[in-house]
Amino acid sequence: MGTVMTIHDETHDFQGFLIVSAALTGYDSAELQGTGCAKEYWHQFRQVLPKEILTEFLSFAPALGKKHEDKIIRQSYLSDRCLGPVSRSLIQLWYTGQWVPFPQEWRENYGASRFDVVKIISTRAYKEGLVWDAIGAHPQGAKQQGFGAWSLEPPKQRGAGE
Amino acid sequence: MIAVTDDDRTYDVVIVGAGFAGGILAKELVSDGHSVLILEAGEDHGKTWETYRSYLDQYYLSLTKTPNSPYPNLPTLPSPSVLDITAVHGTEPDTNGYFVQRGPLPFGSNYLMAYGGTSLHWLGTSLRMLPADFEMQSRFGLGVDWPFKYEDLKSDYERAEWEIGVSADAEEQTPKALGIKTSGPNDNRGYFARDYDYPMHSIPSSYVDNFFARADGMPIEIGEDAGDTVHLKVSHTPQGRNSTPRRPKAARKILVGGEPQEQFRPRGSTGPFAFMGQRCEGNSSCIPICPIQAKYNAMKTLEDAKYTGKHRMKTITQAVASKVELGANGRVSGIVYKKYPFPGVPQYELRRARGKQYVLAGGAVENVTLALASDICRSSGELGRNLMDHPYMMTWGSAPEPVGPFRGPGSTSSYANFRDGTFRDKTAAFRLEIGNWGWKFAAGAPNSDVERLVEQENLYGKALRDKLYHDVQRQVRIGTLVEQLPRATNRVTIDPAYRTPMGEFRPVISYDLDDYSRAGLAASYDTCAQIFQRLGIRNHTAYNPSDAGYFTYEGRGYTFFGAGHLVGTHRIGTDKHNSVTNDKMRAWDHENLWLVGAGSMPTIATSNPTLTLSAMAYRAARAIKTAVRKGGAA
Repeated sequence: MGTVMTIHDETHDFQGFLIVSAALTGYDSAELQGTGCAKEYWHQFRQVLPKEILTEFLSFAPALGKKHEDKIIRQSYLSDRCLGPVSRSLIQLWYTGQWVPFPQEWRENYGASRFDVVKIISTRAYKEGLVWDAIGAHPQGAKQQGFGAWSLEPPKQRGAGE
Repeated sequence: MIAVTDDDRTYDVVIVGAGFAGGILAKELVSDGHSVLILEAGEDHGKTWETYRSYLDQYYLSLTKTPNSPYPNLPTLPSPSVLDITAVHGTEPDTNGYFVQRGPLPFGSNYLMAYGGTSLHWLGTSLRMLPADFEMQSRFGLGVDWPFKYEDLKSDYERAEWEIGVSADAEEQTPKALGIKTSGPNDNRGYFARDYDYPMHSIPSSYVDNFFARADGMPIEIGEDAGDTVHLKVSHTPQGRNSTPRRPKAARKILVGGEPQEQFRPRGSTGPFAFMGQRCEGNSSCIPICPIQAKYNAMKTLEDAKYTGKHRMKTITQAVASKVELGANGRVSGIVYKKYPFPGVPQYELRRARGKQYVLAGGAVENVTLALASDICRSSGELGRNLMDHPYMMTWGSAPEPVGPFRGPGSTSSYANFRDGTFRDKTAAFRLEIGNWGWKFAAGAPNSDVERLVEQENLYGKALRDKLYHDVQRQVRIGTLVEQLPRATNRVTIDPAYRTPMGEFRPVISYDLDDYSRAGLAASYDTCAQIFQRLGIRNHTAYNPSDAGYFTYEGRGYTFFGAGHLVGTHRIGTDKHNSVTNDKMRAWDHENLWLVGAGSMPTIATSNPTLTLSAMAYRAARAIKTAVRKGGAA
């Protein structure tokens, strides 16, 4: 019974993690899971955050995707002294596959984790960084576009003309 | 006294260094029936596909994707890293990295000690020099003349272009077609032999190149009189990466070094996956690693040598050449090397390799430290002097529209207009290379853009995504490669105080930019600024006095980097007083010793040195073959 509850909770929390990630990155939950990195990032995220901060971080998930999303993101996440640095590291994790450690001040206030170090999470994380899609290119050294593709007109901005 | 174990076998030729020059020499010599031993200090990166793949993974995981980042940097065998470059202050040398930097400016270039050498991370640029580049003293009263002329190297350029597999079209590459106003009236005539062409067609231009080509025809004043004005032209850069093979016209085959050739067959990866890499696929990571080896590397030529040579060809990796030993009459009698079984562990066995002829092919710096440590090649006093590079300066900006960066090879085109001209009596010549990877080298894009937009501009979500597209799609960058003159004070020395954990001498480097090069850099900056104005590019270039390579010229500040083009430390020449070797690269002081590679070049001019050093390797190979046959007599 207890085990089932844990799995349920983690799944619930994981869904919350994806919802907040989607709002912060501008990519929807399916796109984020499509990178194949969601579980790795969720693992990293739990390793660096104390439990109560993680809980607070996820607590706004149900309110996202509705009318006041921008206000919630800016007020409860980006400008919050605790959740602001957390959010910014998470955005950069999704975009570059690289964990950006929290500022020294944050560590002093909320606790330092030995997993809070600069690193590229995995070779897959490098290749799946959202930045490559966002800039209309491909990860350097992977997902090559083919001979002469560099001559073609660059892709249009996503969503342009919608 | 530590005992030195002699190798069982005596070879016709012992070569130190498995890079561009060593590979070509080995292939040429074994093809002619001679036996060859190559001593390589580094590890064998190409032995198995897994090894090469592991370097690709290392690249993905490197936080700073520098040229050497995919490859191991062993305590036993440190390679210079661009991350070690800092400003040199006062009289104390900077000892951060492998190089001991005495300044006054830091020498910013690196290389790689490994099987395949720096060819593992080169860009692939394969330019011939221009006729004027061989005659700097006669034409401009600067530097030195080469002991031979362009015409004398022409057929070896052909051989090197077909060995490397260079993609370009000859009709686009004559000085005239490139828009160069040459300093000599006949420099354009016969630049390519009549029945010659490159093995593969040009690599397609990038979308960025075509954006810059909109400024073609724009007049730029470069010299003092109006006759010097050149008209801008974006031109394809010849590149050592696989493109579409040229089909020879049925009746007239392509003559390469006088030999008719069948259609070129692009060579892909080394090892078991040879079907990969027969075309460039646009991985956009040539520096530091081509995942499919569509870009040439010396392992391809070395593999040919092994296949051709069979038992005549032997390679020993993890073997650091430590001393060149002399016997009677100044002849080399052996090379002592340190064979280390475990990469990274400074524990080794001392061995001695023996041959009839000996070749140092370890690059312009390593050849010198080995020769100095062995106290050889001293009579001219030129050994280690005249170190040159292409001081590399960047200008970058935002184009008025998306230009599609971060796709394709690092650079596919350049403005070659400024590679020669009568202006060269006062101002260094230069080439402007158009970058295809946005502000990657200039500012660490695109990761730095993510950081800036998230941490400073407080963007998130779709606004962040859209701004990334907006900013990065408009990133353009031009790199200037300016020539340096040979200077006795720009030099590599050794000092017993500075050694590696293996006990080898670390290179001690003194380096500066003279006013000639500074004038070229200043002129190139002004040219780039004009191009930006013409194309509506917002100039974001910023040079900071705290940059390691910051310098000033006529009251303005600029920042330069190294180009990785290490040239000139054991130059060829006409006699033993002005040079370390003769024009065939045989040491004046030791009749069975040869020093090859870019260190042999008396001037650097504006071409990336690889093609020239490769062509010169053919020249040396012929002379070494003769020497082996004659038993080494002069």
